[in-house]
Amino acid sequence: MNFLKHNLRWYLPVLTGALILFLWILVKELFGIRNFILPSPLKIAQAAIAERHVLFQSAMITLSGASLGFVTAAIAGILGSMVMALSGNLRLSLYPYILILQMTPMAIFAPVLVIWLGPGLPAVTVITFLICFFPIVANTTQGLISVDKNMVDLFRMINADRGQEVRLLRLPHALPYFLTGLRIAGSIAMIGGITGDLFAGNASGGVGGLGFMVLVYNAQLKIPALWAAGFTACLCGFLFVSVVIALNWFLLHKWHDSIAKSDV
Amino acid sequence: MVKITALQKRYGQGAVILDDINLEFEKGEFVSLIGPSGCGKSTLLKLIASLSPVTSGSLVVDGMTPENAREEMAFIFQEPTLLPWRTVTRNIELPLEVLHTKWDKREEICARTRKLVGLDHVPDHYPRQLSGGMKMRVSIARALSLSPKILLLDEPFGALDEMTRDRLNEQLLAIREQQKFTAFFVTHSVAEAVFLSSRIIVLAANPGRVYQDIRVPFAYPRSAETRESPEYQRCVAEVTKVLRAVNPDHP
Ligand SMILES: Nc1ncnc2c1ncn2[C@@H]1O[C@H](COP(=O)(O)OP(=O)(O)OP(=O)(O)O)[C@@H](O)[C@H]1O
Ligand SMILES: [Mg+2]
Repeated sequence: MNFLKHNLRWYLPVLTGALILFLWILVKELFGIRNFILPSPLKIAQAAIAERHVLFQSAMITLSGASLGFVTAAIAGILGSMVMALSGNLRLSLYPYILILQMTPMAIFAPVLVIWLGPGLPAVTVITFLICFFPIVANTTQGLISVDKNMVDLFRMINADRGQEVRLLRLPHALPYFLTGLRIAGSIAMIGGITGDLFAGNASGGVGGLGFMVLVYNAQLKIPALWAAGFTACLCGFLFVSVVIALNWFLLHKWHDSIAKSDV
Repeated sequence: MVKITALQKRYGQGAVILDDINLEFEKGEFVSLIGPSGCGKSTLLKLIASLSPVTSGSLVVDGMTPENAREEMAFIFQEPTLLPWRTVTRNIELPLEVLHTKWDKREEICARTRKLVGLDHVPDHYPRQLSGGMKMRVSIARALSLSPKILLLDEPFGALDEMTRDRLNEQLLAIREQQKFTAFFVTHSVAEAVFLSSRIIVLAANPGRVYQDIRVPFAYPRSAETRESPEYQRCVAEVTKVLRAVNPDHP
């Protein structure tokens, strides 16, 4: 009984997964849905195994674009937010344009990027960057400027200079905000990567990123393989979010109420 | 130590908050500021600390402008204002770190002040692991780490229960026996003001001005027993009466 209680967070999701699989098979068999509309989980697994080399290579291509875009967005997000935090007027002047960046549909912007950079990793990276940048810069800026007035007064009282105020007060205070932005960005980085290699990807030797492979499998009518590619993308997305959650825990568990176990 | 002459304060173009304040304080005095809410007690502390500029009149701290005297002062806010990502020790040594004090010296001062406020047993705790009273003691220790000549306290114990507050008051006086600072202490509690102070300034509101300047007659050191003496209780009753007179809306 104790075992069940303590491992709730592991076996409950697994249980949900099993239930979904069961319903899937049930619906498919009950209504006799054909394979190209909804393949059975077994078929998808078989396709995944058969195509494992291609899928792995393809996932690596998408992941490298997605991670490069994600990491550069994180770095630029920190620097950008520090600039934005400098003054209210600066924020007012920059914010609408950062927002526009976020609003631009990548499907429209991608061809422009291909003209500029050619298809391939740089273009995919830029697309992911553009998607990930906003949540990071917006959250981190909020963290930098929402420092308690008394804290700022405290730093003035101890004669801290501007650099010390940023380093010892504003940046650590912004850390949880930054990580929230990072979590949002992490969950959409794969979307950026896939959109990227759909529109700006480069397929050498017939293998491109996951977004590209979806097109290929579709053309070849390899529907279960197409689904397998979709699941691979989900898996990669999971990987992203896990890394951010781990980072979040590592940096905050000692002091931040959001994860510190204060009542045990 | 602090000389205030014909001081007036308004925020921006707003109403006059403090008007025609004339006060002079000697070194070593323990001054309480008391008065109705919104009369400008916090504002007066901020002016002394140069966290806000004087509108007109003059304010001299230890022969200097408040700005230049800042190094001699420490401010204790109503909230503990601790950095939650730093342990007790690292919070206490923050001002020393900002001053680039040598590491071993830092360590030594920090250990001493930590002991002074009775937090020797929790050097590596984070603020979230401390009670309200303990957090306040960290805040006091941090202020004391620079051995300030002037300590400014804005309702530091307002959020604490009475028992804790009494204990901390006694500790504060005990510390003052060792580190001879001049104190300016804002409070709403008459009992606290009388127990701690050598002098109580009662302010009136709208605009804030000095209503009465009361000397507390009995000597230091004071202890928990002081509160039982008839002299103390008479003084509390007297100051309460003055405060009622200045604040007729709140009987
Ligand atoms: N930064 C500010 N800008 C404008 N007005 C302010 C500012 N700070 C305080 N005031 C005004 O100055 C007046 C005095 O405020 P202050 O905080 O000094 O009062 P107080 O005596 O400390 O009150 P309390 O006992 O409630 O803490 C109030 O009317 C308040 O609205
Ligand atoms: Mg106040």
